[in-house]
Amino acid sequence: MRSLENTKRQMIRAVIETNLENRTAKVRRKRLRWQMLRWARASLVTVTAVLAISSFVISRGKTPSIIAGNVNTSAVHHVFEPRTVEPSVPLTAPGDVNLSILPLSVKRIVIDAGHGGNQPGAISSTGLAEKDVTLDIALRLRRLMKQSSFEVLLTRETDRTVTLADRVAFANSNKADLFVSIHINSLQPHSIRPLETYYVGASNDPQVLQLASLENRQSGYSLSEYRQLLEKVYLDVRRNESRALAITVEAALYRSLKPLNPKLDDRGVKMAPFAVLVGTQMPAVLAEVSSVTNDEDVKLLNDEQYKEKIAVSLFEGISKYANNLNSSGKRGDAPNGT
Amino acid sequence: MAHDDETICVGIDLGTSRSSISASNGARHVVDSYVGWPLDMVARKVIKKDVLIGREALESRSMLDLRRPLENGVIKDGSERDAQAVRELLRHLVSLIGIEGKQQKLRAVVGVPAEAMKTSRLRIRAAMDGIADSVMLVSEPFAVAYGTEALLHAMVIDIGAGTADICVMQGRYPTEDDQRTLPNAGDSIDQRLLASLQEHHPHAQFAIHAIRDWKEKWSFVGEPRRRVVVTTAADGKPIEIDITDDMRAACESIVAPISETVRDLVARVEPEYQQRVLNNVILSGGTSLIGGLPEVLKSALSELGKAQITLVQDPVFAGSDGGLAIARDASDGDWDKLSL
Repeated sequence: MRSLENTKRQMIRAVIETNLENRTAKVRRKRLRWQMLRWARASLVTVTAVLAISSFVISRGKTPSIIAGNVNTSAVHHVFEPRTVEPSVPLTAPGDVNLSILPLSVKRIVIDAGHGGNQPGAISSTGLAEKDVTLDIALRLRRLMKQSSFEVLLTRETDRTVTLADRVAFANSNKADLFVSIHINSLQPHSIRPLETYYVGASNDPQVLQLASLENRQSGYSLSEYRQLLEKVYLDVRRNESRALAITVEAALYRSLKPLNPKLDDRGVKMAPFAVLVGTQMPAVLAEVSSVTNDEDVKLLNDEQYKEKIAVSLFEGISKYANNLNSSGKRGDAPNGT
Repeated sequence: MAHDDETICVGIDLGTSRSSISASNGARHVVDSYVGWPLDMVARKVIKKDVLIGREALESRSMLDLRRPLENGVIKDGSERDAQAVRELLRHLVSLIGIEGKQQKLRAVVGVPAEAMKTSRLRIRAAMDGIADSVMLVSEPFAVAYGTEALLHAMVIDIGAGTADICVMQGRYPTEDDQRTLPNAGDSIDQRLLASLQEHHPHAQFAIHAIRDWKEKWSFVGEPRRRVVVTTAADGKPIEIDITDDMRAACESIVAPISETVRDLVARVEPEYQQRVLNNVILSGGTSLIGGLPEVLKSALSELGKAQITLVQDPVFAGSDGGLAIARDASDGDWDKLSL
């Protein structure tokens, strides 16, 4: 009894601490907003000064290295570089400050073939197991990716049991840039043929990224506070990027598979806190590419060409997302205005 | 922990579908989580109230700007109106315990989904400002575990409307790794049932509110004990349809994700304690009342070993009762730290 009371007391203490931490975060956010205002004011002064200096430099046959619409504080250092360029470069009014941080590029992709080993996943009336189809598609996808510039890793290459935690740990420990989990739906009624792609739940605080971006430039925080801040930014960005990836993957799958499977039902992208999506530390999606409960889909899943088409579509979706990101060189440029 | 007469403690389970409150003065209430404001002056005149809450709001929905302000267990994003609706809901819940006009300090423990983000928690805390003097937020499954004293080698599966929260208890306050929140809960069943019925009966009309009522009356998993036949309308005429198979399929859709998550959480427990956790699985929340659910979950978990799944005595109040127990056990000093 005493032990139970002690456990309860310890737990209540932990609850109080957690609640107090949340409140501290609130105070910290207020401080951040205040710092953001201060920073905005400071940057306005900086931009004005830069423009004044730049005008002066131009008048002496030099050019500023700040580009209108992409002003940042680091540009100040380059203004005085003795660079000879055309004196007629127009100097337009500065646009919004670019708040993007931590440029992201995609190199290493982890492909997760759902289920496996003693976890067959869904099984069709004819005995087709989800674990076999997902592995087949994953291996095809790996072949396609190897032909491109991506580095690809599989959570399993054979029919073996891998826990969800191990899949997550595999992706995280390999520092993957993207995580794509392949699954096959099992739904009632059997007549439906859904196609859907999941990503982890959306962020509740759209300002976090902006605030953190500003804070990157002018940090008045301790190292640990700063790390916490970046972690929050990372969470938000990861969700947004996961959504963008889900959109391109879903679109590519539907566009390619619809002609072969006219009754395919595009159910779009959805949020879901699946363990593999929550635990992974990179943009992650889970694609339900077909349904083993629909007899027509099962027929198609036994067709080599159809499985190849699924793999190609996944490859196209992932590549499109990655190329967009790599070429934009910044976050937030993903389709559909994530 | 003793609290003086000038203090009243409450546990609140703020649910997507229903919200409950348990108070230290013995009052316990549950309301449907609907809030509605009259659409115009005419509606205001008919309703004779500024705001309607719960079933009353649902029944007058044609005249109201009706809100179900919680989504997946937290205030919906981006809508000030929803935040206002949550405040009204909380205010209404507190008004039901009969302390209006009394100068009593109110200390509230509010249950939120296990994986609710900090920002969501802050919004709920802000909504309590002016309603309670001090507020403590806890994860819903933890509140259930605390209330049932299942604190060591136990697992709580709290299935509500918006989320299913699963938490393994290992004698410490659960960390993020010990808890999971799934969207596979009552609302997802409603949506699946609606989609299935629309597909099978394209000429019939279905309203989501009716679907919810049918689910609450006749939901089941496994073998049906009787056929489920409901009355709806088609081309303006009433028709009877058999929804047994649709109901079963929709209800069973939550079994796989939940059992998969349970497996994942159990796998994280030290091997020597895994069976003890499986022997002490507690099922709570309104959606846990689906007929046959404990048996089907038990079967789905059989590959891990023999699971013992117990439905809490009062699934609807298990969260708020647990919250009340926490509120009572916290000391005055603890509460002082959490004042609003």
